[in-house]
Amino acid sequence: MRQPSAGEALAAALSAEYAAIYAYGRIGVRLSEAARDAARQAEAAHRRRRDALVVQLTTAGGVVPPDRAGYALPFPVTDRASALRLAAEVEERTAAHWRAALASTTGADRDQALAALVEYAVRATRWRKTAGQTPLTVPFPGRPT
Amino acid sequence: MLLVLGGAVTPLTGCDLFDRDDQPAPPPDPLRPMVDESLALAAAYRASATAHPELADRLNPIAETHTAHATELARVIGVTVPSAASAAPTAAPAADPSGARAALRALEKTAQQSATAACAAAPAERAALLGSIVAARATHQEALK
Repeated sequence: MRQPSAGEALAAALSAEYAAIYAYGRIGVRLSEAARDAARQAEAAHRRRRDALVVQLTTAGGVVPPDRAGYALPFPVTDRASALRLAAEVEERTAAHWRAALASTTGADRDQALAALVEYAVRATRWRKTAGQTPLTVPFPGRPT
Repeated sequence: MLLVLGGAVTPLTGCDLFDRDDQPAPPPDPLRPMVDESLALAAAYRASATAHPELADRLNPIAETHTAHATELARVIGVTVPSAASAAPTAAPAADPSGARAALRALEKTAQQSATAACAAAPAERAALLGSIVAARATHQEALK
């Protein structure tokens, strides 16, 4: 398989960030108090990375994929339990796109991809903790299973 | 003393005389120390789980993760996984469970830093694996809180 270029890998990460922001809109309304605050902070982090990627890809003259009106969720979000499960899932999936960008990048771009992978993997662990899921961690965060 | 000195000098002379065309041994793979580091982490978790059985459910999956990292790293660099017994001996676990957890968190933090440096310096084909190992070590610190 051909190694994607840095621009292609970052465009894929941007599409994942769009989907994560959409998902958190559905997640937040099913949560209350501390968990809702945590969802708000998580969504803000994804928005910051989305904005940074749009600037970065535009500056580099690369293709900026458009956001979509909606994204298919892997399962319906109907209550607190399914919202927390989806939050952990969203973080793992977004982490996977940043992990994939590691191979296509070097230097500061790779540092940026690694920081995102680490942050989202840790947040997935926090969501599992909130949900009472075990184990709290996966052996290879972001690796396709 | 003289005998020891002679023993050290003789093979060197032999090299100079007879093995001039030999290429120097290839430098060890930069990931080789990470295999040992992963095995040492696994050993530290197992020791703490033995000392504090009430933590075993939380610690044993993380020990297995570190062993899986060692196995995967060894595969990538083309060596067999050393037996667990060859892992560097670790300090005895703290007498109280919270002290044991704090000690493991400190080990993970240091190990996360070394994996971060390895990821930054790695060729493309190793970057994703190392990124997952960095992220795993970060999630372990979160799980131990």
